[in-house]
Amino acid sequence: MVTGGSGIPNSDGEAGNASAPVLAAGIRDFTFHEAPAPVLRDITVSCPPGSFTAILGASGSGKSTLGRLLSGWLPPGGHGTLAGFLELAGTRLEFDGGPGDPRIDPAQWGRHVGFVPQDPAAVLSTVRATVAEELAFGLENTGMDRAGMEAAVERTARLLGLGSLLGQDPARLSGGQLRRLAIGCAIIPGPPVLVMDEPFASLDAAGTNELASLVRELIRGGTAVVILSQAVDALLLEAGTWLVLADGRLAGGGPPAAMRPGSGLLPPAIRWPGGIQATRPSTAVTSSRPGQVPPAKPAALELRDVSFGYPDAPVSRFRRRRREPGCRAMVLADVHLAVHPGEIVAVTGPNGAGKSTLLRHFNGLLRPTSGTVLVRGSDIAGAPVGKTAASVGLLFQQPRDQLFERTVLREVGFGLDRLYGPALAVERAGAALQAVGLADAAREHPAELPASAQRLLALATVLARRPAVLALDEPTVALDGNGLALLDTAVRSAADSGAAVVLVTHDLGYARAAAHRILALDGGRLHPA
Amino acid sequence: MTTAAASWPWSLTVVAACIVLSLAAGTAHRVLPAAAAVMVPLGLSLLVLHGLFFPEGRTVLAAWGPARITAEGLDFAGQRTLQLAAVVMALLVFSFSVRVPDLVAALSARGVQGRFAFVLASTLTLLPAIAGRARSIRQAQESRGLVISRSLVSRAAAFRLQAIPLVLSLIEDAGTRAAALEARGLGNAGPRTSYRMVPDSTLQRAARSVLVLLALASVVVRVVLAGTGG
Repeated sequence: MVTGGSGIPNSDGEAGNASAPVLAAGIRDFTFHEAPAPVLRDITVSCPPGSFTAILGASGSGKSTLGRLLSGWLPPGGHGTLAGFLELAGTRLEFDGGPGDPRIDPAQWGRHVGFVPQDPAAVLSTVRATVAEELAFGLENTGMDRAGMEAAVERTARLLGLGSLLGQDPARLSGGQLRRLAIGCAIIPGPPVLVMDEPFASLDAAGTNELASLVRELIRGGTAVVILSQAVDALLLEAGTWLVLADGRLAGGGPPAAMRPGSGLLPPAIRWPGGIQATRPSTAVTSSRPGQVPPAKPAALELRDVSFGYPDAPVSRFRRRRREPGCRAMVLADVHLAVHPGEIVAVTGPNGAGKSTLLRHFNGLLRPTSGTVLVRGSDIAGAPVGKTAASVGLLFQQPRDQLFERTVLREVGFGLDRLYGPALAVERAGAALQAVGLADAAREHPAELPASAQRLLALATVLARRPAVLALDEPTVALDGNGLALLDTAVRSAADSGAAVVLVTHDLGYARAAAHRILALDGGRLHPA
Repeated sequence: MTTAAASWPWSLTVVAACIVLSLAAGTAHRVLPAAAAVMVPLGLSLLVLHGLFFPEGRTVLAAWGPARITAEGLDFAGQRTLQLAAVVMALLVFSFSVRVPDLVAALSARGVQGRFAFVLASTLTLLPAIAGRARSIRQAQESRGLVISRSLVSRAAAFRLQAIPLVLSLIEDAGTRAAALEARGLGNAGPRTSYRMVPDSTLQRAARSVLVLLALASVVVRVVLAGTGG
């Protein structure tokens, strides 16, 4: 795993010793090139085989950087300099940020440490046509024989509930399905250490349970598991050690039992299960409380008999002949939905149920195969998306699909001057950034913001337009407690000023706290949950 | 093969075979317009150049000052056009019908280095990837009020808005992707295997050998003919 450093360790030899850590790090400081200050300082991590470590931190605390450093995705010397050591399978590499530092071979490191990044799409090789081949990609590169690969793919798919998707194109998976695939790619070679960054984000209840039992099984089998998170998911209560990161430093650590809320050891921005109540701002006592029926007005958004199916991918005639002719799979079937001004509706459903597909019908990015979509009473069938967008604000599931400008301010200001004129546009953009707490970041590059801030920025771009209909796809994902409170306030105040809000979420706690009614999308049909 | 043989019937046969193949593979509706887009201007320019100004032309059909249409010139231009058409068609049929994963699997099964196979595959998946990224940027902009109508001006303006974000996001994407690929062992020097099985029938193997032999034979025939003729 090392070139230019000390000897190459025998891959599994020393790892058998239960007390010695299989992965450890002592970081005096880590600084990105051209950055004024270190992002990580004074952190020690040590993971013996079969241990379970949770690293908790609010957005921007340096979690993802630490995760990528531990897993070889950010080799010291490449994008930044490390002073300290990294230790893997009994071999310690000392770094002092100078030219004589050892170099990490990411491929060798990757055999020992599996990593699931925060953005699961980053894992995809992009040249593999099916989920099964994507899973096998890492095994192919180690030269495993075909029978071995087939068994491994089959076993991993079963563990993660990917069995029915093995033949699908990875590029067409839903957000939650993609997360499962990324986890599968990380565990399939059986690495002794598994590092996961926000693995629960956008997983449905079944996926969360599957992941929890998967982690338990891996730990029983001797794998050291490290989960980086900004929320205390139920599974993390089973961890042996919690490490708390704040501003790139280790702010505390110990067994979970010692760190309950009230102990003062956890920063308030870290979310607890169903923690919206804990973080809800006391000022948000408004008319839009659950249980209160908003006054009857004509619907701001109405879907009548909407059905939709994706067209089949083009295939050659030979292959087409083998398939049964006719019916393409319908993602939405006869969906009826009416959302009134001031109303907040939450839509839940399993991964891949078509929730994002549903939202994309609201502004015409997708057109129904049959049925009509009415926005403020008029059919949007013939209208270009850009026109409908004046009334419908859509928050995409992945912020990176939404953000494209060079600075935060330009991002929020995009298209506003056409709507309001230049003077008012600047004012609206500023107000929207203020509302999501990003006023100080106006000149930064959106891609360099932490995931939570990216999500909030995307939200600001939607809020700045003051649309009559707000469609939010997984708005709580990647938000820490502070971000969630900002989101909650923003959604409520939008609803109070007359916007109809539809939000898609797996966070049932949030849905119950924020929405007037909850609908479930399953098998293409929408029904009350 | 056709460039070596330089004969009308051969070139025509290859072009016809390509059309039949693309029809069978269901790609004809994409292959033929692409081929026409390449060949029509090229063929016309060849006709003008050689048809009017072929120095060795003897049989003059018509003449305007220095420009004269000769039978030999037309024959030569036709021949070259057909040869080119055959080559273009063969390449297009290949690039429209090849399934990238199959190609990569076949290459790695034959011992081609992982990185090289990946680069080769990436060049073929690059355009769809860029198109996909451009589509998501356009959707984001449309969702924020960018109206794109069918007019050329509107599309050009939209393209201008998309170009910079597109390039920047592709560069950013490449950085993270590289880390992932390295960690998954793309750079491994050792032998690698392939999960995907590429069906390679005896018929296909035979066809490949025959084609290689034909290519060699046509070169030999051409050389021999040139030797006896000259």
